[in-house]
This record gives sequence, C-alpha cells and structure tokens, in this order.
Amino acid sequence: MTTIAVSDRVAAPEARAPRTISHGAALMTLAKRRFALSAKTPREIVVPLLTPILFALVIAPALATMVHTTNGLDYKTYVAVGTVGLLVPLSCMFAGIGVIVDRDSGARRELLAAPVPRSLMVGGNFIVALTVSALQLAALIIAALARGAKFHTGASGIAWFIGAAFLFAVASYGIAEVMANRIPKQEEYVGATPAIAILPWFLAGSLFPIHALPGWLAGVAKVLPLTHALAIMRYGLLDRHATGLHDIWGLSSATGEAALSLLVVAAWAVVLSVASVRVFAKAAVR
Amino acid sequence: MASGRTIRPGPAIEVAGLRKTYPGGVEAVRGIDFTVEPGEVFGLLGPNGAGKSTTIGMLTTTIVPTAGTAKLAGFDVVREPIAARQVSSVVFQEAVVDRGLSGRAHLDLHARLWSVDASAARRHAAGLVDTFGLYDVIDRPVLGYSGGQRRRLELARALVSQPHVLFLDEPTVGLDTRIRYELLDLIGGLRSGNDMTTLLTTHYLDEAERLCDRIAVVHSGAIVALDTPSHLLSSFGDEIIEIRVAGDSQAALSHLRSRSLADADAFAVGATLTIPLHERSGGDVLAVLAAAGLTTTSVATRKPTLDDVYLQLTGDSLAA
Repeated sequence: MTTIAVSDRVAAPEARAPRTISHGAALMTLAKRRFALSAKTPREIVVPLLTPILFALVIAPALATMVHTTNGLDYKTYVAVGTVGLLVPLSCMFAGIGVIVDRDSGARRELLAAPVPRSLMVGGNFIVALTVSALQLAALIIAALARGAKFHTGASGIAWFIGAAFLFAVASYGIAEVMANRIPKQEEYVGATPAIAILPWFLAGSLFPIHALPGWLAGVAKVLPLTHALAIMRYGLLDRHATGLHDIWGLSSATGEAALSLLVVAAWAVVLSVASVRVFAKAAVR
Repeated sequence: MASGRTIRPGPAIEVAGLRKTYPGGVEAVRGIDFTVEPGEVFGLLGPNGAGKSTTIGMLTTTIVPTAGTAKLAGFDVVREPIAARQVSSVVFQEAVVDRGLSGRAHLDLHARLWSVDASAARRHAAGLVDTFGLYDVIDRPVLGYSGGQRRRLELARALVSQPHVLFLDEPTVGLDTRIRYELLDLIGGLRSGNDMTTLLTTHYLDEAERLCDRIAVVHSGAIVALDTPSHLLSSFGDEIIEIRVAGDSQAALSHLRSRSLADADAFAVGATLTIPLHERSGGDVLAVLAAAGLTTTSVATRKPTLDDVYLQLTGDSLAA
C-alpha cells in the first residue's frame, strides 16, 4: 500500500472564465474514449465479423454452385453484397452493448457531468460504430474478392454503395442506441438483437430477390431500410440494370430509383438518429 | 455556451426552494434553501433516502428539479447547465470509471472535456498522482485497482480541472476503516490554501464533524437544521446521560420533565432515554427514576454527538 502524504500540491482554483471545449473537440474526445474501450474489448469488433465472413467465404460460394445466377448476376457477388446487410446491423448492435456497459458499470455519469452537450456522447459512440463497421465492411469485400466475387467498380457505383452503406449504418446505430437506452438489462438486449439485426436480413433481398417473396411479405420488405440499402449497393457494385431497385419501384430510371431508395434510407437514418438522441437524453436525466 | 463569461462574484452555491418529486409522487426533496460561500466545506448529513443524492443530482444537472432554483458560481443549473458543469466536478457515491482504461486516461479525458490547457493538465495530473499516492498504478487499467485506489483516482480526476465547486457524494462509503481515514485525510487536505468550495454528503457523523464548516441536517427531503457542527452540538451542553429503562420510556421522560430533570432537548427512542444534563447530576436523574419505580437496565454518560442532534430533530438514527 502506498503511503499517502497530503501536501499542498493540489493547486488552488484561480479566478477564470469558464472556457468550454468546442463541440468538435468534445466529439473527438468522446470518440477517442470509445475507440480505446472498443480496442480493449475485441469481441465488439471480431464477433460481428464472423458470420458475414463465413457467408462470404463458405456459404455464398457453396450456394453459388447450386444457384449459379440470379437475374443473370453472379450469385457469389450477389450474396457478398447481401452480407453487408447482416454485418452492419450486427456491428452496430454490438456497439450498443458498450452503451449499456457505460450506463451500468462505466463512466457515463462522469460524462453526463461534463460541460458538453450530451447529444455528443451519442455522436462519439456513433463515430466509432461507423468506423468499426467500415473496417469490417472492407474485410468482407476483401474476403469476397478472395473467393471470386466480381464487383463492377466505377466512381458513381462506389459512391452509391458508400452512400447507402453510410446511411444504413446511421439508421442501424440509431436503433441500437435507442434499444440500449430503453432495455434495462444487457441479457435482454442481446436476446433482442436477432430480431433487429438478423430477421430483416431474411426479408430484404439479401439471399434472393424480393419478388420471390409472397406479395404481402414483399410489401413489408419494401418498407425496410435494408431492402433499399441492398438494392442501391448492388446497383453500385454489381447490378447495373438495377433489378433490385425495379422490384421496389417499378420505374424506368435506375438512377431515379436509386435516388428514391437513398431518400428512404436517409429518412430512416434521420428518424432513428433523432430518436436515439432523444431516448438517450430521457434515459440519462431524471 | 459559457465561453467568454467570467465566474460571477457571490456565493459558490445558491439553492432556493429546490424541490424534486419523482413520477409516482415520491417527494425526494421538499423545498430546500441554503447558500455556500467560496472556500467553504458544506455537509449534507442524513441517512440513506434523506434526499442528499437527489440534491447533488440536481446540482450536477443529472436530475431536473421540479421547482426552485440552484446556481453554481452564479450559473443556473437549469438555464445554464453547461456553464454550471464547467465550474464543478463530482465524485459519485458508486464507482464511475471505465475499468478497461488506465488511471491516466481518466485524468486526460476529464482534463480535455473540462477544456484544461494541455500543459496545465499534465502539471495538475502529475501533482495529483503524487499527492494521492497513485504513481505506481496510474498507467494500469482501473480494473486492477483496489477500492481505495479507485476512490483516490476518482477524487484526483475531479480535481484535474480545478473546480470552483467540488461535489463529494458519500465519498468514503463502502471503504474499509483504514482506507476511509486515509481518504478523509486527503479530503481534509484539499481545503488548505485554496478557495474551492466543497459540498459533501454523508451519513457518517465523524466525517461531517471533521470536514465540514457547516452542516445541513437532512430528513425526509427537508433541511431540519443548518449550522456549524459546534453550534449544533452546543445546545446539548457538555454531557449526556443515556439510560435504558425496563418500562415505558416516554412515561419515564415525562416524569423527569415534570421534576425539571429533563428539558425539551431530551428524547426517548425505543427503551433508551437520552438526556442532556446541563450541569445537573446524573445521580439525581437515576434517583428520581428509581423513586418512581422505573427500573434502569443500563446507564452511560458521554459527550453529545451529531447523532443526538439528528435523533432529537427527527426521531430517527443516522445509522439506521
């Protein structure tokens, strides 16, 4: 045990203006903290990657030997893009566990006592969730390429892909933050994760086009942000004929359809982001 | 934003009519008023559930008051919450740390969020690490800290920003006796040579007596007494006789009062009579009880404590 010697080295407060940190600097500081915590818990990064990588490396090529083509598309590549729709929600839901740990046994109350707008705490967590998702997505694409996926890469296609993936990640983290602040126990949160992160994946045209679904279920699929995000991502990297987008909109302009779908995903992203900040604020302050 | 504004002169903490009613109608704080001057160490003394932590929650802007006002260094906690948080720091009752991060990371994070200049932050942190005996562990994850080390780290973290107002919410609760006294030494040492204001909540009497310039005794969400520890104790005189009786203690107290051997400040809790002697003889008190046929099962004399103040004011024990 270290002997404590009380000294006068605890400096006296000096009269000064209460200078506060800029919002940008506070956001980066909070994100840096979250990065440090995530780096100490590799499960948050590695575990969400396992299933999608398994799909890209093993399941998609295996299915491709049976299915061969979907609307004339390479099925391995089709599923590789579809796997993004599993990876991003899983990654964001795992990030939500960090929010619960912060609340139950972490330093959340210290951050709530800090002289920064509390919405920045959500922003800091989001930046990390987005970065981790992006890294995982890159790993997934590399794995898919290694197993023979064929992407059509052009500047506009990549832009559509990144735009859709980004907005979908915003929406996914929004719902993760809402759930993490609404659900009292980590066990319950983990139990609810499949319903949020996996169930929509089966309906959103991840493994097959939505026109293969029963009519009413295809109607449900058209409401899901994931359906729109996947259709845009495939339009960007794989399907220049935009068959997925036609299944949703039935219009003649692929670009117009992509823009409309991007608008839908953006609307989900905005609604869920606003909800996440509001739910956080309500949960944090009594 | 508080940028560009100066600390306003006047009291460090001003609380007026502060009230908190939780959903469901639970009145945790029932309209309290107090003022704390710069440099003062002010204690909120009361048992669990008295409303102390809710009061700190309102002052640190994590609980929204139902009514009333509170200001820190002149900044209203509801209308100017960021400025109020900028001039204050808090050490919470329970552990509020990121267990995976090092102690130094905690100090750095606090310094950044409280916009302490980087070189000043390094200088403050080095002094605090040294003063609080954290040198050997500061770069290790907090996960491996003992309870005392973690508490000292939390205290050091709160001081990195040199707050004008420091909140200590039950700072020694849950610590073993030796570590508790070490921490009390540290907290007592903070006050020498600076004008930092400290608001401390506790249910430990010795802690309040030892550290606080003034104490507000809190009971069921209200302040029932507010004064210096010596003034609160002085009304009881120098000596108290404590008597356990076999029969009705209230009847025994009434009998003593009728014989002018107990004043209004005497009280009975359960089978125990607590009677400030005020220059009277304890022997006279016992003789009158014996003459009335009341059997005494134990007798002790002692100096008055804040627990007597609390019992006399509320009928409840702080230790309950």
